[in-house]
Amino acid sequence: MRKIGEGAEAKIYLTSIFGNIVLVKVRFRKKYRERALDESLRRSRTKQEAHAMIIARRAGVSVPVVIAFDKFSIYMQRLEGRLLREVLSDTNANLPYAVFVELGRELAKMHNANIAHGDFTPANIILNNNSHAFIIDFGLSEITSSMEAKALDLLLMKRSITSEQYSAFLQGYAAYSKSKEVLARLNEIEKRGRYQTRTLITS
Amino acid sequence: MIVLGIESSAHTFGVGIVDNGKVIANEKEMYKITDKGIVPSRVADFHMGNAAKVIRRTLHAAGLGIKDIEGIGYTMGPGIGTCLNVGMLAAKALAYFLKVPIVPVNHAVAHIEIAKKFANMQDPIALYVSGGNSQILKLYKSEHGRGAGRYRVLGETFDIGVGNMLDSFARNAGLNPAWGSTVAEKAKKGKFVPLPYTVKGMDFTFTGLLTHSIKLIGKVLIEDLCYSLQETAFAMLCEATERALLLTNSHELCVCGGVAQSERLKAMLSEMAREHRVKFGFAPNEFNADNGAMIAYVAERMLENGVKCSIDSCTIKQRYRIDSAEVY
Repeated sequence: MRKIGEGAEAKIYLTSIFGNIVLVKVRFRKKYRERALDESLRRSRTKQEAHAMIIARRAGVSVPVVIAFDKFSIYMQRLEGRLLREVLSDTNANLPYAVFVELGRELAKMHNANIAHGDFTPANIILNNNSHAFIIDFGLSEITSSMEAKALDLLLMKRSITSEQYSAFLQGYAAYSKSKEVLARLNEIEKRGRYQTRTLITS
Repeated sequence: MIVLGIESSAHTFGVGIVDNGKVIANEKEMYKITDKGIVPSRVADFHMGNAAKVIRRTLHAAGLGIKDIEGIGYTMGPGIGTCLNVGMLAAKALAYFLKVPIVPVNHAVAHIEIAKKFANMQDPIALYVSGGNSQILKLYKSEHGRGAGRYRVLGETFDIGVGNMLDSFARNAGLNPAWGSTVAEKAKKGKFVPLPYTVKGMDFTFTGLLTHSIKLIGKVLIEDLCYSLQETAFAMLCEATERALLLTNSHELCVCGGVAQSERLKAMLSEMAREHRVKFGFAPNEFNADNGAMIAYVAERMLENGVKCSIDSCTIKQRYRIDSAEVY
């Protein structure tokens, strides 16, 4: 196993199963946390994440295929490509608006399947060589019909891309039957006093 | 420059004196919390009765006369209006009488700045935890401001502060005194029972945890309940803070505010920081609880950076968000 990444709650490794290279996400122990609490959090989050990915895949969303999962690890397909965040910061890359329309469609499919991503930013989207968008990192996702959770997905993306890119994104998102309701909720969230001064900081 | 600072945002009337960045006196009187919590009008009366006494005591402790004071700072907010008013009036009276400059200070900025001073840090992630507040912050340079920048809220509580949560639980459980520290004492002999745990990215909520815990009073051993409540709440704070550290790629972490007096919270944060090779620090307890010295400390820096405020234009602001305060 070779470590290729580390986040706040998990480490990412590459390993091989039957000669195929796969990616493993392992939630490691947090020593600062009470042992029973730590185990239950890691276990439920691993399960939740794997389930959300499997449901999203079934709903036709482009996400990595889950090969297997156990108590604290998820084995999944490795994707080739670049993070949307990197592509966006690369001024030479001329990203067609069609990419954002497609991304909006992906989120529409996901919300239609009642999955809110929880961290829907350009750091969690991979573009492959054909500029096809894949959504990764379901660590903060929720299986929910909550308009609030879905609106927060839109909010994070809105704050991370330009307004032209966002309107292209919304064209695609309109494929979701309840997109108007979500947008109404987003409007409401943006009006809440507490957040008027708050800048969302995304990686 | 010798600056006197007055803090009165909640239950504490505190006065501190700072000379050239060094704290030379720090005195306070605290309103005794009853089973009714903080009653705004009574606390204001309490502050009225103590203001002159605490100011005199602070001057005495510093070995100074009133005429030695060269500047005044007071807490503008956030806090309880009736309480803030008393501190502001005392500050204005002193500034008028002494004919020295006066500046309003943001309470949260003062907590972080004094922690940075004692922890010897330049650019940390700050976890500010008290009765009324629970926020994760970092200083960013302003584009237009005259000062060093403004704190940005990376994450915060969606409802009540963690201290308020612990105190409310203690009051409901009939613990005496009804403080987070009593919960901490009981927690020493407890075992873990699962309680609601709510973190959303770098934000968190405490009311669900509180309601659930109150419902368990009498059904679960109070020691177990105290232990689990504290472990769950602090783990939530640690997780959100950890995410903020990694997101901003910071190398320093400080904790401040009243709840930073908790040994368990400091131990957890220290362990988490060690795992990420992040420097961890905090101020002595006397400066984590509300105090006048932190106000004086920030006021001195503001005055030396040319911040001016006429006595007439000095006000209070109950909801003075930290991200609207310029830091010097």
